[in-house]
Amino acid sequence: MTARRVVLTGIGVLSSIGNGVTEFTRGLREGRCGAGPITRFDSTGFRRQLAHEVHDFTPSQWVRHTPAEQLGRATQFSVAAARMAVSDAGLDPADLRERPGLVTVGTTDGEADALDRLVEAQANGTVPADLDPVAVGRLAAHRLALAVVRELRLSRAVPSVLGTACAAGNYAVGDGYDAVRSGEADWALVGGADALTRRTFAGFHRLGLVASDRCRPFDADREGLLTAEGAGVLVLEDLESARARGARVYAELLGYGLNCDAHHPTAPHTDSVAQVMRLALADAGVKPEEVDLISAHGTGTPTNDVTEIRAVRQVFGDRPPRTVALKSMLGHTMGAASALGAAASALALAHGFVPPTVNHRTTDPECAVDCVPNHAVDADLRVVVNNGLAFGGNNAAVVLGRHQES
Amino acid sequence: MTTVAVPTDRHFITAWSAVSPYGLESADYARGVTADVAADAGDGSRAVPVPDGHAGEQACLVPGFEVREVLGRAGTRTMDRATGLAVTAVRELFDEASRARRPVPVGTGTALVLATTLGSAQSQHDFAHASFTGEKPYDVPAQYMPNVLMNCPAAASAIRFGLKGPNTTLAGGRPSGLLALGYARRLLAAGRAERVLVGAVEEYSPSRSWIEHHTRAADETPGPLGEGCALLLVEPGNGIPAGRTALAELLAVDARVDVDDRLATTAEACVRAALAAAGVEAPDVWAAVAGGLTGRTGHVETALLRRLFGPEATDRVHVHTHIGDTAAASTTFQLAALLATAKGDPTSHGRPAVITSIDRDGSVACAVVRLLGEET
Repeated sequence: MTARRVVLTGIGVLSSIGNGVTEFTRGLREGRCGAGPITRFDSTGFRRQLAHEVHDFTPSQWVRHTPAEQLGRATQFSVAAARMAVSDAGLDPADLRERPGLVTVGTTDGEADALDRLVEAQANGTVPADLDPVAVGRLAAHRLALAVVRELRLSRAVPSVLGTACAAGNYAVGDGYDAVRSGEADWALVGGADALTRRTFAGFHRLGLVASDRCRPFDADREGLLTAEGAGVLVLEDLESARARGARVYAELLGYGLNCDAHHPTAPHTDSVAQVMRLALADAGVKPEEVDLISAHGTGTPTNDVTEIRAVRQVFGDRPPRTVALKSMLGHTMGAASALGAAASALALAHGFVPPTVNHRTTDPECAVDCVPNHAVDADLRVVVNNGLAFGGNNAAVVLGRHQES
Repeated sequence: MTTVAVPTDRHFITAWSAVSPYGLESADYARGVTADVAADAGDGSRAVPVPDGHAGEQACLVPGFEVREVLGRAGTRTMDRATGLAVTAVRELFDEASRARRPVPVGTGTALVLATTLGSAQSQHDFAHASFTGEKPYDVPAQYMPNVLMNCPAAASAIRFGLKGPNTTLAGGRPSGLLALGYARRLLAAGRAERVLVGAVEEYSPSRSWIEHHTRAADETPGPLGEGCALLLVEPGNGIPAGRTALAELLAVDARVDVDDRLATTAEACVRAALAAAGVEAPDVWAAVAGGLTGRTGHVETALLRRLFGPEATDRVHVHTHIGDTAAASTTFQLAALLATAKGDPTSHGRPAVITSIDRDGSVACAVVRLLGEET
C-alpha cells in the first residue's frame, strides 16, 4: 500500500491574540502580544502578575449537547477549537461521522484548574466527602478528546489525550499524521488545549522562570516565560479526499519526529533536541537547507533558548533559517503551544509571511538567529519546522510544506 | 512442533510485567490471578484497610511498596508512587528478559507508551495545596514540579533506563491501555520505534480515592480500588530476537464512543469491528475478558461478551476481583492476566482472545489477540 499524503484543511484557534483563524492570522501578522493581568485566579501575593488569557469566550456557543458546567475550561476550549476547525475546513460534523477518524488532543495540565479549585475548597475547610461531584467529574484528562467526540457526535472516532506536557500538541499532530497516512483513519482532529492554572503558574514562579513584564525569546534581557491558555485544533485528511471535495489546503504535513532526552526532568538536552529535528527532517524527506523557517519552542527562559538555538545550529549550521518564537505573542500555552505553532506555520505557508518574535530589543549573542524581531515580513515559504519541547525530555518536531496544486 | 510464521508487518507481545497487589514480579501476578479465588483470603481480593481514604475503605495495594525501598536511594528522592510503580514495572520487565538471556535493548529504538488517568493525583493535589496554605502562594515545592505533570512516570522511566525513543503518556479513561496499544501499533507501523513498551499505571492515593468516589454512578457496587503498573513488550515480527518467544499476536484494536446513548449497540459494533479486522469468528474465541465496571454500564459489557462468546470464554480469566479497580491500568492488567492464564492452559494455543473495556462516559474499546503459547 502506498502511503497517502496528509494535508491540513481546517484550523480552530483560541488564543490571547484572537479567537478563530481569521483573528489569529491577523494577530500574527500584526505582531500582537496577548499579555495582561491575571483574572482567571486570585493572583494576590504573587510577585509576578501577568499571563496570556483567552478573552471573549462563551462556552455555550460551542458546547451544545452537554451542560457546559460539566466540562472544565480546557475541555470547553478543546470542543470550541474542534468545532471551529471542522467548520473552517468546510465540513459538517456529519461528514465525518461514519468514517473512521482520530481525535487526539495534547495537554499539559488537563483540568488542573478544576483540581486547583477543589483543593482550594479543601484548604478552606470543605471535607473531601462534600466535594462537588460535578466539579470532580471534570477532572479526568481524557475528557478533552472525549467531549469533542460526544459534542460533534463522531461515532467512529478514537479519542485520545496525550499528556506529553508542553510538546503534547506536536505529539497529537504526529499521531494524526501517522493514522491518516497509513489509511487507518480517514480524518484526524488533532491539536492541544490548556487553560490557565494557578498550580502551573505557582510552579514556574517558584522556579524563577516567569517574566515580570513580557516574554522576550532570544533577547539578551529575557527573564522567562508568561504562562498562557489557548487551544489549537487542526483538521488533517488525505490529499485525495481533500481534492475530491474541493477543500482549501493550508499546508501539507511532510513528516514529524519524536524522541526523549532520557536525561533530566526539567532541563532540555542539546543533542537530543537536535536529534528530534533530524528525525523530523528525515521523515519528511527534507534537507536542512530546504527549510525556510523554524517555529521554535522558544519559551523565553534563559536555558531553553540557548539550548534550542545550539541544537538548531547543530542541524542547520551557522546560517540557520529564520527562527521565530510565537510565545512572545501567545505566551506559553503549554500543551496547546506546538499545536498553535503548527497552525501558525500552516498559515505562514498559505499566506506567505513570517510571524514575528515580538517584545524584542537586543538579540542574545548566545541565541544568534534572525528571529524576525517585532514585525512580520512577507516571505515565499516552502518548508517550516515546528518544534515542541517538554519537561521530561519529551520532544517532537513537525515539518510542514507549502501546498501547490500542480 | 508447530512453527509460528512471523511476518514483518505484524505485531507481537513478547514479554510482560505486572507490579500488582500480588507483588513486584510477573510470577507473583501469574500465581495470583490463576489461583482459585476461593483460595484467597476473605472476599478473594487483596484489599487492606486504608486509613486515609473514605470511611471504612479498603484498597488493593502493592504490598510493602515504598519507592526508595524498592528502587534504592539513588535518583528516587522526588519519585511519587505512580512514578515508582512505573519505573519498577520497567525494571521488572528488563530484569526478567535479561535473566532469560534475551535483554531488551534500550536507547533510541525503544519507545515507552504509558497510559494513566492523571499521573499522580496526590502529587498534583499536594502541590496545589502548598500554594493555598504556604506563607506565599508561590511556596510550592519546586522539586516536585515534574510530578504534577502526567508524563512524570514515563519520563522518569526513560531517564532511569536510557529509553530515548518515543515516550508518550496517554489518557483515555478505563480503556486507556487499549488506546495505548493502538498508539503503539501506529508507532511501529510508521517505523518510529523498533519495539514498544506499552502499558499503564495507576497509584492508590487518598486523592485518587476521593476522585473515584465522586465519579462513580449511583448504581455501581464497586469493589476496592487497586493499583500497579502493567507493561507489555510489543515487537514487529521481523524485530523479535532469536530465542524470544512471541506470546500473542496483536490482531486488532477498535475504540469508539457512544454518542447516541445507545451503549449496547456501540459496544457490540466495537467488538464486531475488532473481530472482523482480526479475521476472527466469535465461536473460536478462547477467552473474553471484561473491564470490570459494575452497575448498568458494566452489565452491558458482561452481557455482550457472554452472548457473543459464551460463559466458558468469559469465565476463564479473572482480574478485577483479585487486584481491585485499576482504572486506566485495568485493560493492561486484563491482558497480562490473559497471558498468564493462557500459559498454563494448552487449549489456548493458537486461539484468539478478546479484551474489552467500557467507561462511564461511553468510551468503549476492544482488542483481539491470538494466543501463541510458549514454545521453549
